[in-house]
Amino acid sequence: MTHLTLSNICKQFAGTTAVEDFNLEVEKGEFVSFLGPSGCGKTTTLRMIAGFEVPTTGKVTIDDADITYQAPNQRNVGMVFQAYALFPNMTVAQNIGYGLRIRKESKTAIKERVTEMLALIHLEKKGNSYPHQLSGGQQQRVALARALAIRPQVLLLDEPLSALDAKIRVSLRAEIRAIQKKLGITAIYVTHDQEEALSISDRIVVMYEGRIEQVGTPFEIYNFPQTAFVASFVGTLNTAPAEVVDPAKHLLKIDGVQLESAEMLEDKHAGDKVTIAIRPERFNFIAQERKANILDCQIENITFLGSVVRIQLLIGSNHFYMDTFNNPFLELPKIGDKAQITCSREAVLVLKA
Amino acid sequence: MKRGNRIWSWIVMIIGILYFFLPLLATFIFSLKAKLGVLSFQAYANVFHDPAFVYNFSYSVLWAISTIVVGILLFVPTAYLIRLRVPKLRSAVEFITLLPFVIPAIVFVFGLVRTFSHPPLLIVNSPALLIAGYTVLSMPYMYRSIDTGLRSIDVRTLTEAAQSLGAGWGSILFDIILPNIRVAILSGAFLSFAIVIGEYILAQYLAKPAFAPYMAYQIQQKAYEPAAMAIISFALTWAAMGIIALVGRGNGQAQVGGGH
Repeated sequence: MTHLTLSNICKQFAGTTAVEDFNLEVEKGEFVSFLGPSGCGKTTTLRMIAGFEVPTTGKVTIDDADITYQAPNQRNVGMVFQAYALFPNMTVAQNIGYGLRIRKESKTAIKERVTEMLALIHLEKKGNSYPHQLSGGQQQRVALARALAIRPQVLLLDEPLSALDAKIRVSLRAEIRAIQKKLGITAIYVTHDQEEALSISDRIVVMYEGRIEQVGTPFEIYNFPQTAFVASFVGTLNTAPAEVVDPAKHLLKIDGVQLESAEMLEDKHAGDKVTIAIRPERFNFIAQERKANILDCQIENITFLGSVVRIQLLIGSNHFYMDTFNNPFLELPKIGDKAQITCSREAVLVLKA
Repeated sequence: MKRGNRIWSWIVMIIGILYFFLPLLATFIFSLKAKLGVLSFQAYANVFHDPAFVYNFSYSVLWAISTIVVGILLFVPTAYLIRLRVPKLRSAVEFITLLPFVIPAIVFVFGLVRTFSHPPLLIVNSPALLIAGYTVLSMPYMYRSIDTGLRSIDVRTLTEAAQSLGAGWGSILFDIILPNIRVAILSGAFLSFAIVIGEYILAQYLAKPAFAPYMAYQIQQKAYEPAAMAIISFALTWAAMGIIALVGRGNGQAQVGGGH
């Protein structure tokens, strides 16, 4: 059942288009991430759901109720901010109970809900502490509890982990996801961190220059990027210009080397220019006889990245990366060596223009 | 730091202290000489036993408190909304807040008298005009203190966080903004108090009872009591500063963000 709908949303600031023709339907209990670089419009879109910005055109509905022009304090939407935004003059318990106090709930009801929320974020003993007495991770958990205490229809999270160090980020994102699943609440999460989006989301909306580039599950976004931008933004991807040789046989050519793809090329003609993309981990050195997708290359550089070894290759005039798992018995070529690599036809993606 | 530089620093500091404290010390000693041949607090006793002092001083306190209340009601929402909605106006408003330093009080008071001494704005005899005038004179201190307080918190994010929890403008101002800038407001309030208590021209020309015109009158009549009043006035100002420092010290005027 569609819970949150954004229809034909556009937002302009002084002649500059921040968000353009944004359409999205979010199911109840779904965790959707808006992923993109700075200035791509993801936070603006989130702020339009929260009511802090009014769309220039388009409509925002929750459970079929049009909330496009409703004031932020009239919507039942919880929000977690990057800067925590805890009220410094209030204790943790007062922060969590503030929304309920505004709703004029009884003191007993507020106390019960605050206790429940403190247990949810595992900060039962911190109810009387002030925000400045907590660590950043604890403050953000309190901010999450405060947003959830009002039982919002939708939970919005605006880069909530950006101000935290890497280790806390990883543990807290898992905690956020677990709480969201436990409560079954619809959540919209804004981030520029692809790893965060891939690890936490049911679906990801990749945005660029105010437009949606692709909507899909993390698996789809990573493995089947549809545009050059998604390909370049999510993970490391080798891209190269190619020419369609035979659409029926899925044959392409880069720098005179023929490649076979699994992608459908019915709408293409021989001679059409396209961009192909191959993930670095999809390449292998040739260990046995192969007939297709054999690429002659020269080793340009080898970089150790811990569990992975990244090898930079020159194929024709294109620089490609190849990733291989590190192990103590790995036999690596030397820089300057000539080698042959291969990849499966499924690994060769053809990007939309 | 070299030894020679340090000696010079001490010399400059001592000259500064002497420049400030010597006249004050001389005034204090003079105020103790009301009784012939002995040092006593007779002048202070005379001042406190004078009903006119109590009358005029009480009025000054009343004007000061009214000015502070009006200042808070006027400048907190103004500074808040300018930070939140029209930050571009900040430099223009800052310039306006400095005008009382530029325009002499005597020019200001004649402007008030001329503007408000004939219908439809015949309020020259109303205490409201005096309080409005004091509010303008204390504006550089009050507004800038409040603005500095607002700068120390993330006004926009706190406002949005409160809005997302259902709070309206009144709740945001009274529950979130005011408590988090209370030290700044107190600083502005005490500075305004000191300004109003010592202000002479407005009260004199708007013909309202106040401490400064009373003190000026006493200077023409007596010798030691005005000196005692000057010391009392200084003591009040210092007490106000001390309270600001006390309230400010150790106050958890926490900031948004931070942590790790």
